[in-house]
Amino acid sequence: MRIWLLWLLPGVLAGCQMTPTTLPVAEPAPSAECRWLAGPGDDLGRVITALEAEGFVVRHTDASLGLVSADRARTTIYHDNGVERLPRIGGFVRGGSGGHVGTGVVLGFGGGAGPGIDEATRAERVSVVVDEQALRVTRDIRLIDWRGDLRESRSASDADFCRDLRRAIRAVPAGAAS
Amino acid sequence: MTRALLILLLIAWLAGCAAPPPSAPRELRLAATPESTLREAMQLLMARGYVIRHADDDLGRLDAALARMPGYGVSLRVFAGAEGGSRVEAIATRGGRALPPGLLDPFLTDLQARLGLLP
Repeated sequence: MRIWLLWLLPGVLAGCQMTPTTLPVAEPAPSAECRWLAGPGDDLGRVITALEAEGFVVRHTDASLGLVSADRARTTIYHDNGVERLPRIGGFVRGGSGGHVGTGVVLGFGGGAGPGIDEATRAERVSVVVDEQALRVTRDIRLIDWRGDLRESRSASDADFCRDLRRAIRAVPAGAAS
Repeated sequence: MTRALLILLLIAWLAGCAAPPPSAPRELRLAATPESTLREAMQLLMARGYVIRHADDDLGRLDAALARMPGYGVSLRVFAGAEGGSRVEAIATRGGRALPPGLLDPFLTDLQARLGLLP
Protein backbone atom coordinates (compact mmCIF):
# COMPACT_ATOMS: atom_id res chain seq x y z
CA MET A 1 0.00 0.00 0.00
CA ARG A 2 1.60 3.18 -1.12
CA ILE A 3 0.39 5.34 1.69
CA TRP A 4 2.65 8.18 0.62
CA LEU A 5 0.44 8.64 -2.41
CA LEU A 6 -2.20 10.00 -0.09
CA TRP A 7 0.18 12.70 1.06
CA LEU A 8 0.54 13.80 -2.51
CA LEU A 9 -3.17 14.48 -2.79
CA PRO A 10 -3.32 17.72 -0.81
CA GLY A 11 -0.63 19.03 -3.11
CA VAL A 12 -2.68 18.16 -6.16
CA LEU A 13 -5.87 19.53 -4.68
CA ALA A 14 -4.21 22.80 -3.73
CA GLY A 15 -4.56 23.72 -7.36
CA CYS A 16 -8.32 23.68 -7.07
CA GLN A 17 -9.84 27.09 -6.76
CA MET A 18 -11.68 27.80 -3.58
CA THR A 19 -15.00 29.53 -3.86
CA PRO A 20 -15.89 31.73 -0.90
CA THR A 21 -18.81 30.65 1.23
CA THR A 22 -20.02 34.14 2.05
CA LEU A 23 -20.23 37.32 0.03
CA PRO A 24 -16.77 38.86 0.46
CA VAL A 25 -16.61 42.19 2.24
CA ALA A 26 -13.86 44.76 2.60
CA GLU A 27 -11.34 43.99 5.32
CA PRO A 28 -10.95 46.21 7.22
CA ALA A 29 -14.48 47.54 6.91
CA PRO A 30 -14.89 51.13 5.70
CA SER A 31 -13.87 53.59 8.35
CA ALA A 32 -16.53 55.42 10.34
CA GLU A 33 -15.13 58.67 8.93
CA CYS A 34 -16.40 57.62 5.50
CA ARG A 35 -19.98 58.36 6.47
CA TRP A 36 -21.00 61.73 7.80
CA LEU A 37 -24.13 63.78 8.24
CA ALA A 38 -24.99 66.05 5.35
CA GLY A 39 -24.64 69.72 6.15
CA PRO A 40 -26.63 72.52 4.53
CA GLY A 41 -25.77 72.92 0.87
CA ASP A 42 -24.22 69.46 0.52
CA ASP A 43 -25.38 68.33 -2.88
CA LEU A 44 -24.09 66.30 -5.79
CA GLY A 45 -22.71 69.32 -7.66
CA ARG A 46 -20.59 70.27 -4.69
CA VAL A 47 -19.21 66.76 -4.31
CA ILE A 48 -18.35 66.59 -8.01
CA THR A 49 -16.54 69.93 -7.88
CA ALA A 50 -14.55 68.74 -4.87
CA LEU A 51 -13.65 65.42 -6.53
CA GLU A 52 -12.47 67.19 -9.67
CA ALA A 53 -10.38 69.56 -7.57
CA GLU A 54 -8.74 66.49 -6.04
CA GLY A 55 -7.78 65.21 -9.48
CA PHE A 56 -10.56 62.69 -10.01
CA VAL A 57 -12.26 62.16 -13.35
CA VAL A 58 -15.99 61.61 -13.04
CA ARG A 59 -17.07 58.40 -14.74
CA HIS A 60 -20.71 58.18 -13.89
CA THR A 61 -23.38 60.13 -12.06
CA ASP A 62 -26.99 59.54 -11.26
CA ALA A 63 -28.68 62.65 -9.99
CA SER A 64 -31.85 61.02 -8.72
CA LEU A 65 -29.92 58.50 -6.62
CA GLY A 66 -27.29 61.09 -5.64
CA LEU A 67 -24.42 58.93 -6.84
CA VAL A 68 -21.09 59.96 -8.31
CA SER A 69 -18.45 57.45 -9.33
CA ALA A 70 -14.96 58.70 -10.20
CA ASP A 71 -11.43 57.51 -11.04
CA ARG A 72 -7.99 58.88 -10.45
CA ALA A 73 -4.79 57.42 -11.88
CA ARG A 74 -1.22 58.44 -11.36
CA THR A 75 2.16 56.90 -11.99
CA THR A 76 4.07 55.76 -9.00
CA ILE A 77 7.21 53.83 -8.22
CA TYR A 78 6.70 50.16 -7.59
CA HIS A 79 9.42 49.06 -5.25
CA ASP A 80 8.74 45.38 -5.24
CA ASN A 81 9.39 44.74 -8.88
CA GLY A 82 11.85 41.94 -9.28
CA VAL A 83 11.75 41.07 -5.63
CA GLU A 84 10.67 37.49 -5.27
CA ARG A 85 8.30 37.02 -2.42
CA LEU A 86 6.48 33.95 -1.30
CA PRO A 87 2.97 35.36 -1.86
CA ARG A 88 3.77 35.40 -5.55
CA ILE A 89 2.57 31.81 -5.47
CA GLY A 90 -0.79 33.45 -5.97
CA GLY A 91 0.31 33.97 -9.52
CA PHE A 92 0.26 30.25 -10.14
CA VAL A 93 -3.34 29.98 -9.15
CA ARG A 94 -4.19 32.52 -11.77
CA GLY A 95 -3.01 30.14 -14.37
CA GLY A 96 0.70 29.97 -14.59
CA SER A 97 1.42 33.62 -14.94
CA GLY A 98 3.51 33.23 -11.82
CA GLY A 99 5.84 31.46 -14.19
CA HIS A 100 7.14 34.78 -15.37
CA VAL A 101 8.69 35.56 -12.00
CA GLY A 102 11.71 37.66 -12.65
CA THR A 103 11.86 36.81 -16.33
CA GLY A 104 14.77 39.13 -16.68
CA VAL A 105 12.64 41.97 -17.92
CA VAL A 106 13.80 43.83 -14.89
CA LEU A 107 17.40 43.59 -16.00
CA GLY A 108 17.28 46.39 -18.50
CA PHE A 109 15.63 48.77 -16.11
CA GLY A 110 17.41 48.07 -12.90
CA GLY A 111 20.72 49.10 -14.35
CA GLY A 112 23.12 50.18 -11.72
CA ALA A 113 20.62 52.34 -9.96
CA GLY A 114 19.45 49.61 -7.66
CA PRO A 115 17.41 46.48 -8.01
CA GLY A 116 13.81 46.36 -8.91
CA ILE A 117 12.49 49.89 -8.96
CA ASP A 118 9.97 50.46 -11.65
CA GLU A 119 7.08 52.59 -12.70
CA ALA A 120 3.53 51.50 -12.09
CA THR A 121 0.09 53.01 -12.33
CA ARG A 122 -1.91 53.52 -9.19
CA ALA A 123 -5.62 53.64 -9.97
CA GLU A 124 -8.15 54.76 -7.39
CA ARG A 125 -11.88 54.32 -7.76
CA VAL A 126 -14.25 56.24 -5.56
CA SER A 127 -17.99 56.31 -5.17
CA VAL A 128 -19.86 58.94 -3.18
CA VAL A 129 -23.56 58.84 -2.41
CA VAL A 130 -25.31 61.98 -1.19
CA ASP A 131 -28.81 62.04 0.20
CA GLU A 132 -30.69 64.34 2.54
CA GLN A 133 -29.27 62.75 5.66
CA ALA A 134 -25.74 61.68 4.93
CA LEU A 135 -22.77 61.32 2.61
CA ARG A 136 -21.10 57.97 2.15
CA VAL A 137 -17.74 57.28 0.54
CA THR A 138 -16.01 54.09 -0.55
CA ARG A 139 -12.70 53.78 -2.35
CA ASP A 140 -10.35 51.14 -3.67
CA ILE A 141 -6.81 51.18 -5.00
CA ARG A 142 -5.28 49.02 -7.69
CA LEU A 143 -1.62 48.95 -8.64
CA ILE A 144 -0.86 47.98 -12.21
CA ASP A 145 2.73 47.48 -13.32
CA TRP A 146 4.11 48.55 -16.66
CA ARG A 147 3.32 45.19 -18.21
CA GLY A 148 -0.33 45.69 -17.38
CA ASP A 149 -0.37 43.07 -14.64
CA LEU A 150 -2.50 43.76 -11.62
CA ARG A 151 -0.07 43.78 -8.72
CA GLU A 152 -2.19 44.97 -5.87
CA SER A 153 -5.89 45.37 -5.42
CA ARG A 154 -7.40 46.44 -2.16
CA SER A 155 -10.27 48.28 -0.61
CA ALA A 156 -9.13 51.60 0.81
CA SER A 157 -12.03 53.41 2.45
CA ASP A 158 -9.73 54.71 5.16
CA ALA A 159 -10.15 57.55 7.61
CA ASP A 160 -7.41 59.78 6.15
CA PHE A 161 -8.82 59.79 2.66
CA CYS A 162 -12.37 60.37 3.81
CA ARG A 163 -11.32 63.19 6.13
CA ASP A 164 -9.48 64.89 3.27
CA LEU A 165 -12.39 64.49 0.91
CA ARG A 166 -14.77 65.85 3.51
CA ARG A 167 -12.54 68.88 3.95
CA ALA A 168 -12.41 69.36 0.17
CA ILE A 169 -16.19 69.21 -0.08
CA ARG A 170 -16.51 71.74 2.75
CA ALA A 171 -14.07 74.02 0.93
CA VAL A 172 -16.34 74.25 -2.10
CA PRO A 173 -18.63 77.24 -1.64
CA ALA A 174 -22.24 76.05 -1.47
CA GLY A 175 -24.33 76.99 -4.44
CA ALA A 176 -21.28 77.92 -6.51
CA ALA A 177 -20.92 74.37 -7.78
CA SER A 178 -21.09 73.81 -11.53
CA MET B 1 -7.21 -3.87 -5.56
CA THR B 2 -5.84 -1.09 -3.43
CA ARG B 3 -4.76 0.71 -6.56
CA ALA B 4 -8.28 0.63 -7.97
CA LEU B 5 -9.58 1.92 -4.67
CA LEU B 6 -7.07 4.74 -4.67
CA ILE B 7 -8.04 5.78 -8.17
CA LEU B 8 -11.72 5.76 -7.24
CA LEU B 9 -10.96 7.84 -4.19
CA LEU B 10 -9.01 10.29 -6.28
CA ILE B 11 -11.87 10.68 -8.73
CA ALA B 12 -14.31 11.25 -5.90
CA TRP B 13 -12.05 13.87 -4.42
CA LEU B 14 -11.45 15.66 -7.64
CA ALA B 15 -15.16 15.75 -8.37
CA GLY B 16 -15.36 18.35 -5.64
CA CYS B 17 -13.14 20.54 -7.76
CA ALA B 18 -15.52 20.73 -10.66
CA ALA B 19 -16.44 24.30 -11.47
CA PRO B 20 -19.95 25.20 -10.37
CA PRO B 21 -22.31 25.48 -13.30
CA PRO B 22 -23.23 28.99 -14.41
CA SER B 23 -26.04 29.87 -12.11
CA ALA B 24 -29.25 31.77 -12.50
CA PRO B 25 -29.55 35.10 -10.66
CA ARG B 26 -31.09 35.17 -7.22
CA GLU B 27 -34.55 36.68 -7.31
CA LEU B 28 -36.37 38.60 -4.65
CA ARG B 29 -39.68 40.47 -4.56
CA LEU B 30 -39.92 43.53 -2.36
CA ALA B 31 -42.71 45.87 -1.33
CA ALA B 32 -40.64 49.01 -1.94
CA THR B 33 -40.37 50.96 -5.18
CA PRO B 34 -37.39 50.30 -7.49
CA GLU B 35 -35.88 53.64 -6.52
CA SER B 36 -35.84 53.05 -2.78
CA THR B 37 -34.66 49.48 -3.40
CA LEU B 38 -31.66 50.83 -5.31
CA ARG B 39 -30.96 53.40 -2.59
CA GLU B 40 -30.97 50.79 0.15
CA ALA B 41 -28.90 48.38 -1.92
CA MET B 42 -26.28 51.10 -2.51
CA GLN B 43 -26.10 51.83 1.20
CA LEU B 44 -25.76 48.17 2.12
CA LEU B 45 -23.07 47.53 -0.48
CA MET B 46 -21.11 50.63 0.52
CA ALA B 47 -21.27 49.60 4.16
CA ARG B 48 -19.58 46.38 3.03
CA GLY B 49 -16.83 48.37 1.30
CA TYR B 50 -18.04 47.98 -2.28
CA VAL B 51 -17.41 50.81 -4.71
CA ILE B 52 -20.51 51.61 -6.76
CA ARG B 53 -19.39 51.78 -10.36
CA HIS B 54 -22.70 52.33 -11.96
CA ALA B 55 -26.28 52.79 -10.85
CA ASP B 56 -29.21 54.10 -12.80
CA ASP B 57 -32.63 54.66 -11.43
CA ASP B 58 -34.41 54.73 -14.81
CA LEU B 59 -32.72 51.59 -16.08
CA GLY B 60 -32.94 49.85 -12.71
CA ARG B 61 -29.33 48.74 -12.74
CA LEU B 62 -26.60 48.70 -10.13
CA ASP B 63 -23.02 47.46 -10.48
CA ALA B 64 -20.61 47.43 -7.58
CA ALA B 65 -17.04 46.18 -7.28
CA LEU B 66 -14.83 45.04 -4.42
CA ALA B 67 -11.10 45.23 -5.06
CA ARG B 68 -10.02 42.05 -3.36
CA MET B 69 -8.01 39.70 -5.50
CA PRO B 70 -9.10 38.54 -8.00
CA GLY B 71 -11.88 41.14 -8.06
CA TYR B 72 -15.43 40.66 -6.88
CA GLY B 73 -18.58 42.23 -8.22
CA VAL B 74 -22.28 42.44 -7.48
CA SER B 75 -24.85 43.32 -10.13
CA LEU B 76 -28.48 44.06 -9.47
CA ARG B 77 -31.34 44.48 -11.89
CA VAL B 78 -34.47 46.00 -10.42
CA PHE B 79 -37.79 45.82 -12.22
CA ALA B 80 -41.05 47.43 -11.25
CA GLY B 81 -43.31 44.72 -9.87
CA ALA B 82 -46.96 44.50 -9.07
CA GLU B 83 -48.64 47.00 -6.71
CA GLY B 84 -45.77 49.45 -6.58
CA GLY B 85 -43.33 46.77 -5.51
CA SER B 86 -40.14 45.69 -7.18
CA ARG B 87 -38.43 42.52 -8.33
CA VAL B 88 -34.68 42.24 -7.81
CA GLU B 89 -32.28 39.97 -9.68
CA ALA B 90 -28.82 39.70 -8.16
CA ILE B 91 -25.60 38.14 -9.40
CA ALA B 92 -22.26 37.98 -7.60
CA THR B 93 -19.06 37.44 -9.58
CA ARG B 94 -15.49 36.59 -8.74
CA GLY B 95 -12.92 37.47 -11.35
CA GLY B 96 -15.73 37.81 -13.88
CA ARG B 97 -17.26 34.39 -13.17
CA ALA B 98 -20.59 33.92 -11.48
CA LEU B 99 -20.50 32.75 -7.88
CA PRO B 100 -23.10 30.41 -6.39
CA PRO B 101 -26.28 32.47 -5.91
CA GLY B 102 -26.68 31.30 -2.31
CA LEU B 103 -23.82 33.64 -1.41
CA LEU B 104 -26.08 36.62 -1.85
CA ASP B 105 -28.67 35.44 0.63
CA PRO B 106 -27.37 37.36 3.68
CA PHE B 107 -27.22 40.54 1.60
CA LEU B 108 -30.72 40.04 0.22
CA THR B 109 -32.03 39.21 3.68
CA ASP B 110 -30.66 42.54 4.92
CA LEU B 111 -32.28 44.31 2.00
CA GLN B 112 -35.54 42.59 2.74
CA ALA B 113 -35.33 43.45 6.44
CA ARG B 114 -35.03 47.11 5.53
CA LEU B 115 -37.69 47.24 2.87
CA GLY B 116 -40.19 44.55 3.70
CA LEU B 117 -41.13 41.57 1.56
CA LEU B 118 -43.93 41.77 -0.93
CA PRO B 119 -46.91 40.02 0.63
